[in-house]
Amino acid sequence: MSLLRRIPNLELLAFFVVLSVFFCFYAPHFNTASNVENLLSGYAFIAILAIGQSYPIMVRGIDLSIGSIVALGAMIIFDLVMIWEVPGYLAMPLALCVALAAGAVNGALIVYCRLQPFVATLASMAAYRGLVYAISGRQLFPELATKPIRDPWITGIEEYYDIGGATGLDQVVNLPWIPLSFLILIAVMVTSQVMLSHTNFGKNFKITGGNPEAARLAGINTKRTIISAYAISGFCAGLAAIILVARLTTATEALGNGMELTAIAAAVIGGISLQGGLGNSIGPVVGAFLLGIILIGLTLMGVSQFVQQILSGAILVGAVTYDLYMSKTRARRARALQSGV
Amino acid sequence: MSDKKEVLGDSQRRSFLKGVALGSAALGAGLVSPSMPVAGLGQQGVARAADGRYKMAFIQWQPHTVPAAWSNGIKEVLDTQNNIDYQLLDGQNKVEVQVSLMDTLINEGANVIFLQPIDSVALGPSIKKARRRGISVITLNIDAAEEHAAHVEMNHYFGAMDIAKEMGNRMGGKGKVAILNAPPGIIIRDQRTNGFIDGMKEHHPNIEIAADQVADWSRKKAQDVLFNILTAQPDITGVYGINDSMALGAVDVAKQKGILDKMVIFGNDGERAALESIENGELTGTQYTDVYQQGRFAGSVASVLASGGVSAKSFEQQGKLLMPYTIATAENVSSIQPAQRW
Repeated sequence: MSLLRRIPNLELLAFFVVLSVFFCFYAPHFNTASNVENLLSGYAFIAILAIGQSYPIMVRGIDLSIGSIVALGAMIIFDLVMIWEVPGYLAMPLALCVALAAGAVNGALIVYCRLQPFVATLASMAAYRGLVYAISGRQLFPELATKPIRDPWITGIEEYYDIGGATGLDQVVNLPWIPLSFLILIAVMVTSQVMLSHTNFGKNFKITGGNPEAARLAGINTKRTIISAYAISGFCAGLAAIILVARLTTATEALGNGMELTAIAAAVIGGISLQGGLGNSIGPVVGAFLLGIILIGLTLMGVSQFVQQILSGAILVGAVTYDLYMSKTRARRARALQSGV
Repeated sequence: MSDKKEVLGDSQRRSFLKGVALGSAALGAGLVSPSMPVAGLGQQGVARAADGRYKMAFIQWQPHTVPAAWSNGIKEVLDTQNNIDYQLLDGQNKVEVQVSLMDTLINEGANVIFLQPIDSVALGPSIKKARRRGISVITLNIDAAEEHAAHVEMNHYFGAMDIAKEMGNRMGGKGKVAILNAPPGIIIRDQRTNGFIDGMKEHHPNIEIAADQVADWSRKKAQDVLFNILTAQPDITGVYGINDSMALGAVDVAKQKGILDKMVIFGNDGERAALESIENGELTGTQYTDVYQQGRFAGSVASVLASGGVSAKSFEQQGKLLMPYTIATAENVSSIQPAQRW
């Protein structure tokens, strides 16, 4: 039992499993390999965005601009590949650098201009979206707008691997093919989790979010930590942009519109505390896929899309309420410890 | 103590701001809904489900009068077949949502997918995947860059040429025109724009196209865009909105500026609001297409393909059907019957 308690996001994982089992019984075609394949490819980029979003929330902020950064990264790739015929292996890293820089600018606005994270990223959300329209190769060269990206380095991201065939398990059970985007997500999640729990750089995010003043007094460069949090968020948005461009073989100006809200929801459901200082990189991934199975399961059961949105909202409210309850409980315990009770 | 209160206050303010963002996330969570009910389908694209019924779905761009009317037309035909389950799905104006919906329908083995693609290229990989599974995709109005079973569209290019001709006649063959356009990336945009430009060149070479700006298909955006255009170029006397919503936005601006009687404004589509505006002497004209009929044609094609067991793999090239149209103006708008208005 004590071993179970050490598993992070245990309640969330249990909820995930119970819901999956429920839908396996009651949602037609939910337990098919093709459905799992859809879930993995359809939500991998959302989960990456949620991991990225968890960093600003961890330092008591929020990043509303990631949807626009997704569009910016995607349009950079489109322009480089379609207009300047830059090969994909150069275009993708360049787009990642731009996305990372866009995130860092958010952090700099918050740290140096002392803007509220909500206001700073709301402003940059509009500014980056405007920039996307300004640099859009589809607007500058409309004839390119109806041509797909064929660069093999980029289209290769939308690859699927037959794990069942390779391991011989497909003789026993029909396994889904694993999309490369999901493997990228696993790599991001593992790297991020190792960084958060085993490096000083990673631990600084939680310490800064938990108590910024104490972190500063402890010698942590909180300004650099906050900027890094937003830069990581931007970087993850860049990764999501690459996955989306590979999936769609193009970039659109409206790409990523509203995606920030889904990523925030996934992060919060995944246990990233809105009070800052708490969370890990596994929770947001589970949160993203939880949203996925709820929406898929309900739709397969024939529940209207509007009802689904209401239910998703209710689950989010539940997660936020739970977070508030837990933070009050933690504060009570801390006070009890301080008073020696 | 006061410091503590301030810190608490800051924290509460932050929480409030986050709460505002998160409140919207309730809707955002639903923005990536990747699937729709297609229960009871077999795994093969052209095969009927075990209960002998066919499954078809229409993935619209977003709720709007045009796809709603198409859907009514499609449903009218499919309902009479008695063995087809049909559903209208919402793409929520997001390519990634449309792609996810396509993926789900493909994997669940729908027989025919009607599609109004948000982007002609972005849906290409999904259409290709459907074809590999033998599922027929029928696009409505907006063609896709990837070949598919069939495309049923309004006559965008030649209709726009006729609009240019009629508009030029009403402008006396001279003057300046602004185009309120759609964002690039959709073939319909090119067809409706190029048809208009070519029509002007052919019939009214003295009319100058002085502005061509994106107004995102939106009445509100069109108001803002045209307001700016007219501020910079007040001598513009003609406006062509490549859909009716944008043209009606132009009417709003002209009324506001008190120059409606000097303006010649044409739209495209022929929706009910546009026809009423023409009857009220506001909008000059529009290209009217019977969209119910367009839906019926698409539904008929789908019914034939599914009941005939025709696999999308067997098509050598994409079929195309252009809809008949009328350039509706004050002189002939009354001939469009109430049942034909959408």
